[in-house]
Amino acid sequence: MPDRALEGLRVVECGDRVSATYAGKLMADLGAEVVKVEAPGTGHSARRRGPFPGGEPHPEKSGLFLYLNCNKQGVTLDLARPAGRDLLDRLVADADVLVHDYPPPVADALGVAYERLREVNPRLVMASVSPFGQTGPYRDYAAHEITMASAGGWTWINGWPDRQDMPPLKAFGSQAEYQAGVSAALATLGALFARLRSGKGQHIDVSAQECIASITEMSFSFWSYMHTPAVRWGRRPLQPIDFFECKDGAWVFALCLEEHQWRSLVELMDSPEWTQWEVASNAFVRASNWDALRPFLAEWVAQWNADDLYRAAQQRRIPFAPVSTMGSLVESEHLKARGFFVEVAHPQAGRLQYPGAPYKLSETPWEVRSPAPALGQHNEAVFGDRLGLSAGQLASLREEGVV
Amino acid sequence: MEGPLSGVRVADFTWVWAGPFCTMQLAHLGAEVVRVESQRRVCLLRHLPPWLEGKPGINRSGYFNQYNQGKRSITLDLSQPEAKELAKKLVAVSDVAAENFAGGVIDRLGLGYEALKRVNEDIIMIGMSGYGQTGPESGYVSYGPAQVPLAGMSSLTGYAGWQPMHVGMSYGDPNAGRHAAFAVLAALLYRERTGKGQYIDMSQWESTMVLLGEGFMDFAMNGSQPPRSGNRDPWMAPHGIFRCDGEDQWLSIACGSDDEWRSLCAAIGKPDLADDPRFRTLAGRKANEDALETLVEEWTSTQDPMAATELLQAAGVAAFPPMVNYMLDADPHLAERGFWVEKEHPEVGALRHPGIPWRMSETPCEVWRASPTLGQDNDYVFGELLGMSGARIAELSERGVIY
Repeated sequence: MPDRALEGLRVVECGDRVSATYAGKLMADLGAEVVKVEAPGTGHSARRRGPFPGGEPHPEKSGLFLYLNCNKQGVTLDLARPAGRDLLDRLVADADVLVHDYPPPVADALGVAYERLREVNPRLVMASVSPFGQTGPYRDYAAHEITMASAGGWTWINGWPDRQDMPPLKAFGSQAEYQAGVSAALATLGALFARLRSGKGQHIDVSAQECIASITEMSFSFWSYMHTPAVRWGRRPLQPIDFFECKDGAWVFALCLEEHQWRSLVELMDSPEWTQWEVASNAFVRASNWDALRPFLAEWVAQWNADDLYRAAQQRRIPFAPVSTMGSLVESEHLKARGFFVEVAHPQAGRLQYPGAPYKLSETPWEVRSPAPALGQHNEAVFGDRLGLSAGQLASLREEGVV
Repeated sequence: MEGPLSGVRVADFTWVWAGPFCTMQLAHLGAEVVRVESQRRVCLLRHLPPWLEGKPGINRSGYFNQYNQGKRSITLDLSQPEAKELAKKLVAVSDVAAENFAGGVIDRLGLGYEALKRVNEDIIMIGMSGYGQTGPESGYVSYGPAQVPLAGMSSLTGYAGWQPMHVGMSYGDPNAGRHAAFAVLAALLYRERTGKGQYIDMSQWESTMVLLGEGFMDFAMNGSQPPRSGNRDPWMAPHGIFRCDGEDQWLSIACGSDDEWRSLCAAIGKPDLADDPRFRTLAGRKANEDALETLVEEWTSTQDPMAATELLQAAGVAAFPPMVNYMLDADPHLAERGFWVEKEHPEVGALRHPGIPWRMSETPCEVWRASPTLGQDNDYVFGELLGMSGARIAELSERGVIY
């Protein structure tokens, strides 16, 4: 068995959003022992979001839940009740990390507070992920993905340019939550590194709004450097950076960031006249004259099948990309050769291909050891074997609805 | 100030955005990050706007200065053997080496993992190429903007019935940077435990695909992928970005439950809507979503976005305007949280940049210095760190090795 980077790291994960769940996944997939705490009865919200096989909701068959929770142990705890809170404390007492994404008012109500938990375990690294952070006037604001992405300045820069009848646009999926999750995970490992020296844990406050506001490319600095308001599709100072439909109906993304790439493209196009015009002479003037130039490039692209054009461009080191679909990616020879997709067998959802490793570590591989837990699947293992509750104690907690 | 990674040194051979964003996370955590640059091949971002007062200059780019905060910069013409030797000397006193050239490029430069291991056996090295270091397309060139379509995100993002869309920023880059930083931290913790370094092969393509779990799981379960559906969400309604009073004014609103829908109805003064049989349940609201959105927009189109946010938030409804860069700049919440960094920079002065999206209670993270000017730290790194004399540094500069 290969070594695992985070072998022996004990993590407790709770909350109801994607962000803490993703932080837990990142750690679990590198070998941490992650105990996921869910509410009895309903479980984590991802169980109620799809995709589902045949579109039929089923708490053990949510694609999002299955994907985010491999390698974790799942327990149920009602944190609103003192007995539930007591069990959380006992879990935390011998854990290294607690990561949660309860909104601050909910965390307050449930007693998931660092001031309290540090008394239970002074070595605990606790990461609290929330839409707006643990302080400030918006601390208690309600939020969902689309409002978080908006609050960070993302949706404003996405959408069709120069069409004020079309709204700012959210990117697919739970991206603000993923960014908050990966930021929480990396900050947590940083705090664990500090703990090697100090022996002390600490609290980390992660704001999803800030996780987005810190990645909107040059959008913010256009304001601070040039007092230029951001516009949709960002402000593309260069061209080509654009989508084109090909002969076979597939799309290609045409990109030349450096002038030598543009010159190679001009060669590939056989140096048509328009590429020699003054208005095409560099990336910046092409961008200011893009409305006039774009149709020429579109006409040329439309003579190609998308994959042929992609390969022909890459052969000349022009960074074109296909507009991939889920199906084309699953079929990609490159991704197959790298073993990106992994097959995971789940007792109820069956064998399915999941997206795999974001990185390959030579000594401590990313791996799937077990599928996502069923609701409360590891109550005995965690509360009984690990915390030492007797079968009788566990039965009565179950009866009271705590577990 | 002692950050969590203080004492860790990073030899940073990265450029453009993904790589520098990874090493900036490590700088945020207190590592000493030394960017190896060259006048011979100046980082693309130094050539991109925004520039202070619109005047181009390699130290005046807000794009570069945003994503290299808290780092040092040295210049080495790595095409020269003596420069390679100096780079290896830096690696010999570093813990981490990072690069994000296309696959194979760093090996051809003579600074691949095998070469670096010979000067520092337990070095942790990460390569963050677009396609990863193995597989038939590993030599392909890629930049952040192309990762969005390549990874499948464009085929999922966009207005209903409209063409595939970008997401408004080179999202593959910062996302890869955060995942890379997480992997490096995991490897650092592993090295503390075992003494062993390792090599991390991170593909920007793969680290973007891991954000699309719902899409891939839908394909795995149902052989299809979610259609582009603008700002709508399969499990929430209303869910969108709605027109407000004034030109190009918008508000994002999301109701995640029937309760939140009822709160919205009450807050906008239409409590009877909550009992409208068309809208009482999520299924009903989804089935009548056009009518639902028309009703919501009837209200928002008379409202100022920020005032409407306060009104809806008081009722516990998730709402927030899509923030434009100048709105973020003026936002009282981000200001109160101390998100912004305004460090004196030799050429642009103390301009405002987004800072660190987390706070740590015991080992506070801080941007200690603005982005470096090109080669700003040659004297410190070659002199103090590597022990070279001033005369030797001058001589190598004259000969264009330190260049």
